[in-house]
Amino acid sequence: MIADLLETSIIISVLAATVRIATPILLAALGEMIAERSGVYNMGLEGTMLMGAFTAYIGAYYTGSLWLGVVIAMITGGLMSLIFAFMVITLKVEQIVTGLALNLLGSGLSIFWLRAAFANAGQTPTTPFFDTVPLPLLSDIPFLGPILFDQKILTYVAFLLVPATWYFLFRTRYGLELRCVGENPKALDIKGLNVAARQYAAVVFGGLMAGLGGAFLTVGSAARFVPEMTNGRGWLAIVIVIAGLWRPVPVLLATLVFSFLDALQLQIQGIGVAIPYQLLLAMPYVCAILALAIRRSHSGAPAMLGIPYWRR
Amino acid sequence: MTTTSATPRLAVRHLTKRFGALIANDDVSLTIAPGELHCLLGENGAGKSTFSACLYGLLQPEAGEIEIDGVTAELTSPAKAIASGIGMVHQHFVLVPSFTVLENIVVGTGSGLRLDMTAARGRILDLSRQFGLEIAPDRLVADLSVGEKQWVEIVKALYLGARLLILDEPTAVLTPQESERLFAIIQQLKASGIAVILISHKMNEVMRSDRVSVLRKGRLVGTVTTKDVTRDDLTMMMVGRPVAQVHARSKPGAGETALSFTGVSLAKGGRTHLKNVTLDLAAGEIIGIAGVAGNGQDELLEAVAGLVRPDSGSIHLRGEDIGALSVHDIARRGVGYVPSDRFRDGLVSDFSIAENLILGQHWDERWRSGPFLDETATRRSAEQAIASYSVMASGPDMLCGRLSGGNAQKVILAREFAKARHLLLCNQPTRGVDIGVIEFVHGELLRKREEGCAILLVSEELEDIFALSDRIAVMFRGEILGIFPRHEADIARIGPLMAGHAHGAAA
Amino acid sequence: MIERLGYRIEPRSETTARGRTLAVGVALAASLVLCALLFLAVGVSPFAAFQSLAQGAFGTWRAATETLVKATPLIFTGLATAIAFRARLWNIGAEGQVFAGAMFAYWCQSALAGSSAWIQLPVIIIGAMVGGGLYAGLAAILKTRFRVDEVISTVMLNYIIVFALSLLLLKGPWSEAGGFFEQTAKVDPGSILPILFDKTRLHLGFLLALIAAAFVYLMIRKSPVGFEIRAAGSNLRALEVQGTNSRRVILMVMLISGALAGLAGMSEVYGVHYRLKAGAITSYGYTGIIVAILGLLNPWGVVIAAILFGALVNGATFMQIKTGVPSALIYAIEAILLLFYLAGWAASSFKLKRIKP
Repeated sequence: MIADLLETSIIISVLAATVRIATPILLAALGEMIAERSGVYNMGLEGTMLMGAFTAYIGAYYTGSLWLGVVIAMITGGLMSLIFAFMVITLKVEQIVTGLALNLLGSGLSIFWLRAAFANAGQTPTTPFFDTVPLPLLSDIPFLGPILFDQKILTYVAFLLVPATWYFLFRTRYGLELRCVGENPKALDIKGLNVAARQYAAVVFGGLMAGLGGAFLTVGSAARFVPEMTNGRGWLAIVIVIAGLWRPVPVLLATLVFSFLDALQLQIQGIGVAIPYQLLLAMPYVCAILALAIRRSHSGAPAMLGIPYWRR
Repeated sequence: MTTTSATPRLAVRHLTKRFGALIANDDVSLTIAPGELHCLLGENGAGKSTFSACLYGLLQPEAGEIEIDGVTAELTSPAKAIASGIGMVHQHFVLVPSFTVLENIVVGTGSGLRLDMTAARGRILDLSRQFGLEIAPDRLVADLSVGEKQWVEIVKALYLGARLLILDEPTAVLTPQESERLFAIIQQLKASGIAVILISHKMNEVMRSDRVSVLRKGRLVGTVTTKDVTRDDLTMMMVGRPVAQVHARSKPGAGETALSFTGVSLAKGGRTHLKNVTLDLAAGEIIGIAGVAGNGQDELLEAVAGLVRPDSGSIHLRGEDIGALSVHDIARRGVGYVPSDRFRDGLVSDFSIAENLILGQHWDERWRSGPFLDETATRRSAEQAIASYSVMASGPDMLCGRLSGGNAQKVILAREFAKARHLLLCNQPTRGVDIGVIEFVHGELLRKREEGCAILLVSEELEDIFALSDRIAVMFRGEILGIFPRHEADIARIGPLMAGHAHGAAA
Repeated sequence: MIERLGYRIEPRSETTARGRTLAVGVALAASLVLCALLFLAVGVSPFAAFQSLAQGAFGTWRAATETLVKATPLIFTGLATAIAFRARLWNIGAEGQVFAGAMFAYWCQSALAGSSAWIQLPVIIIGAMVGGGLYAGLAAILKTRFRVDEVISTVMLNYIIVFALSLLLLKGPWSEAGGFFEQTAKVDPGSILPILFDKTRLHLGFLLALIAAAFVYLMIRKSPVGFEIRAAGSNLRALEVQGTNSRRVILMVMLISGALAGLAGMSEVYGVHYRLKAGAITSYGYTGIIVAILGLLNPWGVVIAAILFGALVNGATFMQIKTGVPSALIYAIEAILLLFYLAGWAASSFKLKRIKP
């Protein structure tokens, strides 16, 4: 049975699934990377993604438009992160505690709203979901084509975001300023630039991306909302940013490793290999701890990550 | 060159800044001409930093007005101060270590989306040539020496178009040679018409300025032309009373060896912190370690305290090898340690004075009754300490985070002096405290010496070192480059060693 | 933004108790208003909803004891979180430690089934503390030896243990013979926590929780261990410089914290549900974090906040029956309460200052 896994068609399907599964996590992780580059640890990512998933679903259900659902999800993510930004940047509340509060808010609001909206329905209704859009010519490339170029639009967006964030961080004036905020905000402040505004922008960008990532879970694949359906993806995105040294390309690689584990797990279950499924499901979380334990040092972390800036 | 040029570069009138009930600047007025080197002199807490923060738009004064080149300036933010031509070099460097020199200077400037590094590099090289500042734009700031970082800070301010440059205690971290370089650079700045405000408390630097304004307790005591006054005049103006210069002291005791280092070396993070240090310290002797900060002084003391483990060599305390002992066990053998960063390493800010005084000894029988801490005993001892060290505090329950730097230092001294039966490790005991506390600390250290305690003293203030030491050792890059009896040591011998120039000294 | 209006936000040099009470009071009132809006959004009169909530929580003697039953696990997890947060150790893992405590207690007790209650009860209590403590200790070791941030490790451990329990319960060694659900068989009667008052469900666990609160209070306020915990929360480095091993402190805090959380799992399994299943012990860890913060990280504050939250949970069930508002609303209410509370608390240390006349 293990031999079955080595067949080309299976390899292609596992790798294509890897790319698909990577989409929401990659979106959230790149957003979080930008936020953390400004020195703010958005620990509320899980709840933000969850609300993104829920509002995309409910938005698409009521408006009948998948894209409107996506926009609503992004707005929701942006609003959630705006609350977070106000709490930690303006009021300087502990970032970890605020993040947790946001997670609990996301989980509580989504369940309540779901029950309130479909109280009488036996089962929550489904929405349509995005189809794959094969890219002309590219999708015909043998092997790589079906893996990389026969995906959904949001997947292309997520992968294009990798070079885009890289260019922004390392080649633009604003990217340099953002990195400076994360390393030593005072250096910008004494040049008369607004530190808080840059942090707000970075955190809200992270929220938009988390909302988008959440939307992919409902209108991008599952077509329905299930309570707690993000299932730790927000937290994995945070781990991935650390494991990816706060740099776009390593973040992409780390995302692919975790998604590959997940895709493999699905395939193994599909074939019916006699490994308890709980062990397979626990894999990403165990690997997350191992990844951090092996790295040990936190080199690459913005120096002021998690520390609020006071002008003294 | 004095005050008579037509429009002053800076005119401040009746500036007042309050923090709650405290008046940090009380009706301060002064003028500075283009090309003038103006020194702002005052003790810690006299209001120098508040004044410069108001000039730079970091704080807003309650009253008063500021004119620059004859134009009234609303300095409500650093952006406005920069636009008015004010530049500032902060006491602690405000640089990003992981950025290059170029990035540090360019960040926050320019327009458009893309970074234009070519033009910026050209301007920076022009500036550094014009004022004799040697900087390499593409080096990482983390790799620069302290002096080089200082030059980068100055270029940063000039790059923003400063016509009035505020230098806040710029020489605190420089070697004597680097300070000389700094004054050469200041001459260049003056020649091109840039006015410089130098904030300092070092008399030999103050005497090189054109004029001096002296602040005491927030008030401007006066502005004088430097060549008309003496050092003693200025000290008198600054402190408001004559300062006792020399403490009486006995001859260095020929006590038995209290502490000895034998070939101690330590490297971490790819840097050498201690290199083959061999040194003996006798009971009743004070050895002062001179050197620019970051040359292994902290590690030298931390190695004795047990906070870091040397890679090789041995440390003996009264004949016993303490290499394998824990911090706690070393302290119990009669070693006190006064760390340089008192609020980071020495005190728990949210704890009361009483609690801080038993920090580290909280398991001790003395402070316990049964399984619980004996609050009566700790409070009683705290009351004694507050009285005998004249700590300005409301009582044993006052939180240490609310104490001023000087009083916080006294709490640490009370705790560590009590522990130091045989050896006292003292790192920067007078940093950031005013002259009254400095005198107090000096007196206490000498008293401890008379009691037969051995003292290893690290200070960036050469005045501390010269006033207190029986012998003076100079450290550079973890190595002891020379050691002199006090009467043989002077700035001419020690200065070059602090910069690593070993020639001319019999090490 | 605010500067354009002629104001600036500045930190206060001193926060008065009155200002703080006022700010927190306003924040809590605001969260009540927000909750009322949520009720209106689902078409229910807020007044009727709050009334049924209160009635369900305290309306009768039985309802009131039921509130205390619901509060019991929250006291344990609240204390667990409070002690860790006091030391500035972000133990988010009470959730998983509740599972670990319940599982370890069950593992020990199931081997002794049939023996006297005098043996089984101490075994489940100690077992729960050991289980929860060890699981939290794992995070401490990961932090001190491998520099893994405790926030992330504890969250990951929360996810992992759910799968571990499922593995043991679903066609595993612990699953009920012939059972269909993911749960164990009923536990031995000798291991059940005694009921405190007749015709109620209030059990020994509540008494244990109060004892735990008293213990934590004395420990934090008076003992050298508490001295270290409080010092660690303010300045761990100073403690280290003064000769206290910070690794030891971190391990100790996590062990105590985990042991307390573990008791919550034991108390639910042996005091309320009489069998081990995920549904019996889920979500107490996360709610415990809110309880701890609203309780000012003070043991008696935790007890009060836990009873308040017990009342919410208990009242919500009644409210759902009476008004049709989904009881899941209370999770949203809890989070809103926490957010507003945090904002109010923080806001009281700032002031708005006019910068232009």
